[in-house]
Formats: sequence, structure tokens, C-alpha cells
Amino acid sequence: MGNILVITELQRGKIREASYELLSFAKKIAAAKGHSVCSVVLGKDVAAEAEAFAKRSGGPVYTVANPVLENYNVDAYCTAIQAAVDKAKPELILVSHTPSGWDFAPRIAARLDAGFVSDCFNIDATGDLVFVRRVFGGKMDARVAVKSTPVVATFQPGATEACQDSAAGSVEALDVAIDAGALRTKFVEVKAPQAKGVDLTKAEIIVSGGRALGGADKFKEVIEPLAEALGGVVGASRPVVDAGWLPHERQVGSTGQVVSPKLYIAAGISGAIQHVVGMKGAQFIVAINKDPDAPIFEVASLGVVGDLFEIVPALTKAIKAAKG
Amino acid sequence: MKILVYLKQVPHQDARLDVSGDGTWIKEENIKFEINSYDSYALEEALKIKDQDATSEVIVVSAGPERVVQALRQALGMGADRAIHVRDDSVDATDALGLAKTLANVAKAEKPDVIFMGFMSDDGNFAAIAPMVAELFGVPHATAVIALTRNGDTFIAERELEGGNLEVVELKAPCLIAVQTGINQVRYASLKGIMQAKKKPVDPKSAGDLGVAGQLAAKVAIEKIYVPAKSATAEILQGSADEIAEKLVAKIKELGLL
Ligand SMILES: Cc1cc2nc3c(=O)[nH]c(=O)nc-3n(C[C@H](O)[C@H](O)[C@H](O)COP(=O)(O)OP(=O)(O)OC[C@H]3O[C@@H](n4cnc5c(N)ncnc54)[C@H](O)[C@@H]3O)c2cc1C
Ligand SMILES: Nc1ncnc2c1ncn2[C@@H]1O[C@H](COP(=O)(O)O)[C@@H](O)[C@H]1O
Repeated sequence: MGNILVITELQRGKIREASYELLSFAKKIAAAKGHSVCSVVLGKDVAAEAEAFAKRSGGPVYTVANPVLENYNVDAYCTAIQAAVDKAKPELILVSHTPSGWDFAPRIAARLDAGFVSDCFNIDATGDLVFVRRVFGGKMDARVAVKSTPVVATFQPGATEACQDSAAGSVEALDVAIDAGALRTKFVEVKAPQAKGVDLTKAEIIVSGGRALGGADKFKEVIEPLAEALGGVVGASRPVVDAGWLPHERQVGSTGQVVSPKLYIAAGISGAIQHVVGMKGAQFIVAINKDPDAPIFEVASLGVVGDLFEIVPALTKAIKAAKG
Repeated sequence: MKILVYLKQVPHQDARLDVSGDGTWIKEENIKFEINSYDSYALEEALKIKDQDATSEVIVVSAGPERVVQALRQALGMGADRAIHVRDDSVDATDALGLAKTLANVAKAEKPDVIFMGFMSDDGNFAAIAPMVAELFGVPHATAVIALTRNGDTFIAERELEGGNLEVVELKAPCLIAVQTGINQVRYASLKGIMQAKKKPVDPKSAGDLGVAGQLAAKVAIEKIYVPAKSATAEILQGSADEIAEKLVAKIKELGLL
């Protein structure tokens, strides 16, 4: 009956995997509710990627091509997306929860006077449509029900499989005027990350501490000796770096380094998704946390429910003893 | 500059969370609350501007029940000039859009040059309100800002992207900046500041005062929160600290790392 509009995202000229994941969610909802799926591709050059997306989406793929869309710009994106919304008149608009998606999606929702649900990782379309998302940094999940449409929803990248269907869809270019001079937020540049003093990505053993450590001195006292005994390096979660206890080069996670050591020890780290994406590739993960419900235990190979200030020094001592 | 800072009071990050009777949120009794971590950084950005230009005014705004006055007082103690407390059950019960409409109307009344907000709330993790308030107030915005410089009424903001990349954007006041944690080092309230804060005004505002009464029906609503079911296969070690340490050492040897 209604339409679902998938907003795709180009990264270095290619549609991101996350956009195909949105398509999977869109199709699942469409099948349950009798909706149709349409999509929009916006960017500088979009034709080839729009064709590729149409081959999997089946439904219409609208395109907005404009040089000002080469880099993300909130005003330009909102104008382009508005044109696709006018065309599709969707009940549901799906966006990836990425640095551009989380920047424009709430703005679009406000513009359309639409409901908004962010960072979902699942849907339940068996009854009234429900979005499933994390709250309290992953300590709890929430089911969010739709009371009135339209709704804009953003989805966590990697939350589902990318859609692999083959289905013939059509591409339709939309003619949208975007006045480059009227953009209020101006894109200046993208700065690449600077080379780090410590390359965590090459470490075989990483001992990471979290906010629970409480201070730089505790890292020296508790975490560093363990890392040293193991011949490993010290890592950290974001709050540790934010508080200035350790430099940014030690941060593991989506906005830090993505590591894949043989052994990763996480002490006093809750296991928020942004941390987990940075370390889940480790071969063996030991989690030490006093909260048995901490989400870090979901990715751990071995867990210790207890006080890190007791466990970590005991472990350091035992390792020293084992080495003789 | 006239600066508005929106701050939310959230359960303390170390608070024990229990689901409330109706299952839609947590029990608020007997837990400590604090200023949302992102919002302390937002307030600090505002106070830094006031440090440079003493004619600047910093107004802190929070919506929530009576307890949020404590967060506002703390912000006043850190150096904010006055506070607005949006206190209305209908605001507390609405969704992100309803709250954004309410908070945008505070901005429409105050006409600030710049608004600082947090990128996300530690409890709801919505990351919704900032772009919505910017849209409804009619100003440009930037989210996940990890560095900010100002030259007159022009701001250069660095937005945190994936993989360590930073997107540099320029925007002119009036505008809204939603900050990421770690953008600065947050100051503490001084004793003198806390004393002075007692004399600073906290103005209560209702949905009616802000012209949003009857416009706050939620379009989306949490029907249930719960501790996620465990799918983990992790073995949990038991015993004393020394016993656990021995077992861990055995495992690390088995991995060939000792
Ligand atoms: C856009 C974005 C990007 C982000 N990027 C990153 C990133 O790159 N890396 C990152 O880490 N985070 C990142 N975050 C932040 C992330 O969401 C979490 O806030 C952060 O990972 C939490 O760090 P933590 O686990 O140390 O702290 P908390 O979540 O506060 O967890 C502390 C844990 O310590 C436990 N604990 C307390 N005392 C003890 C004790 N004595 N013994 C044992 N356990 C104890 C508690 O039970 C708790 O589980 C990002 C967030 C956003 C929004
Ligand atoms: N009740 C509230 N009162 C004042 N500001 C709020 C409130 N809720 C959210 N905010 C602001 O909006 C930001 C983003 O929160 P959210 O969109 O809820 O994740 C927060 O960091 C605050 O700056």
C-alpha cells in the first residue's frame, strides 16, 4: 500500500554495504505490510551505481545528480532528499546511522513533521511495526512502536545481511535545483587520520582499560603492569581518552583503531557497539567486568565477573610467576 | 554572544538500572542522576567563549522533572548565567520530535547566536534532538563535533567520521553545534561559583508558556525495554581472584602466548 523510501549512501563513488542492508530491512517490512520499496541515490555521478542498486531493489530508484553532492552537505542532502520524498510520498524513510545519516535524518524528520527512531538494529513486522534499538549504551534494548506515519528510521551498519536479490528495477533521474551559494554549512575538507605513535593494529596482545579505571594513575598501577608482563600494549575505551588519561592513539573502536590481536583483554569496559566494532576481530577476548549483564560478555571468549582491581593484579602476579 | 546550552539530566553512568513497573523505562527511585556526559562538554564550549568575551551570556536549558534543577544549578555553578527549566509532564511524555519542538521554541524566544548541545544522550542514545532543533529554529548545524574554532561569528567545526577521518565544515552564527565527548577538558564548579549559583535565576516554563501545548502527541513510543537475552557462548570463570588468575594463565599458555 504505502511506500518505503531507502536513502542510499555513496562512499568514494560506490553505494555502501549499509545501503544494501537497509534494502533488506525495507523488503522485510514491505513483504509483511504490502508496501512498495523505492530508493534514492544522491551524489555527483550516480547513474552506474543507481543501475546496480535497481538490479537488487526491484522498485524505482530515483537519482539526484549534482556536483554539490560530491561531499556530504546537510543542506544539499536535505534538498535532494526532499525531492525524493515529494516523489515517493513514503510512509517510512530508512537511513543508515552513519556520520552523514545521523546528521541529516533527524533534520528531515523535523522538516516532514515525522516520527523518528534512531540506530535500530532490528525490526518486528509481525504485528504493528516495531523497531528494536539499544539504549543505555547497550545495557538495555528497547522496542519502539510507530504511532503515526510518516516515520524516519536510521539503522546501525552491519545489523543485517546486505540484500542480494536480483530483481529488475527502474532508474529515474529527478531534476533538483540546489543553489550552492545558499548552503549554510560549507564543506571545507576531509582530514585523513594522522600517523600514530603506537600502532595498536600490529599488536599481538592488547590489554585495554575502560572508564572503570577512574584515572591515569590507575592505568599505571593496574593495566600497564599486566600489559608489560604479557609483552603486550595498553589500549583503552573512549572515555579514558576523552578524560585525558591516555592519548587518542590508544583508543580502540569506531573512532579509534580497529584491532585484531591474538589476545584482547578488556577490563572495566562495558562493550558499547562503538568499542566492540574495534576489537571483535581479536582471536581471543577476555572480559573482566563486575556487571554480569555487561554487553562485553557477548563478544568475549572467556569472561570474569568480578572487580578488575582484584583480578588484574592477581593475573599480573600469576603471569610473572609462570614466566619464572 | 548569546549562547544557549541544552542539557539533559540522565541516570548516573554507574547506576544500577531496573526496569520500571510498566516496562517502558527504568525505575528512577533511589538512583543518582548526573549531567549527560556529552552536555558537560557542550557547556564547556559555551563557557570557553564567555572566558574570551565576558559580555557573552550563557543560558542553560533543561527539560524534565523537578530533579533536573540540580543539573541546572551545577551548570550555574560552573559559570552559566541563568537557567530555564522546562517542566511539564506532557513534555516528559513526548517523543524526540515533540521535545525538539519544545526546545526549539525556547530558542525562538531567546534568539541565541549559537546553541551548544550534546551529540547524544547517555540514557536514550537517540542522537536526535540537535538536528531537529536546528531545523525547527531554522539554523545550520553540525553533529559529532570534536574540534571547534571561532572567528567572530564564523565557526570552523571538525566532525568525527569513521576510521579517524575528520570532516571540516564552516558555519555562521546563528547556528547549532552538537558536540562529541572529548572536545575539551570540562571544568569543575568552584566553591565561589556554587555560592554565586544560588542567586542565579532558574525560570520554570510549561508547554503552554512555550506554545506547544496540545502539539506533543508522540509519533513513536517505547513499548518495552529489557536486558537483552544472552546469546553469548563465553565461558565465565569462577573462583577467587588467584584461582581465576591461574585459569587465565593456563588459557594464555594454551594460546601459545606465554
Ligand atoms: C559516534 C561515537 C563514536 C564512539 N567511538 C568510540 C570508540 O572508538 N571507542 C570506544 O571505546 N567508545 C566509543 N564511543 C563511546 C561508546 O559509546 C561508549 O560510551 C564507551 O565505549 C564506553 O566506555 P567504557 O566501556 O569504558 O565505559 P562504561 O560504558 O561506563 O563502562 C564501564 C564498565 O566498567 C564496569 N566496572 C565498573 N567498575 C568496575 C570494577 N571495579 N571492576 C570491573 N568492572 C567494573 C562497569 O560494570 C561497566 O560495564 C563512541 C560513541 C559515539 C556516539
Ligand atoms: N530533556 C532535555 N533537556 C534539554 N536538553 C536535552 C534533553 N534531551 C536531550 N537534550 C539535548 O539533546 C542532545 C541529544 O540528545 P538525544 O537526541 O536525546 O540523544 C543532548 O545531548 C542534550 O543536549
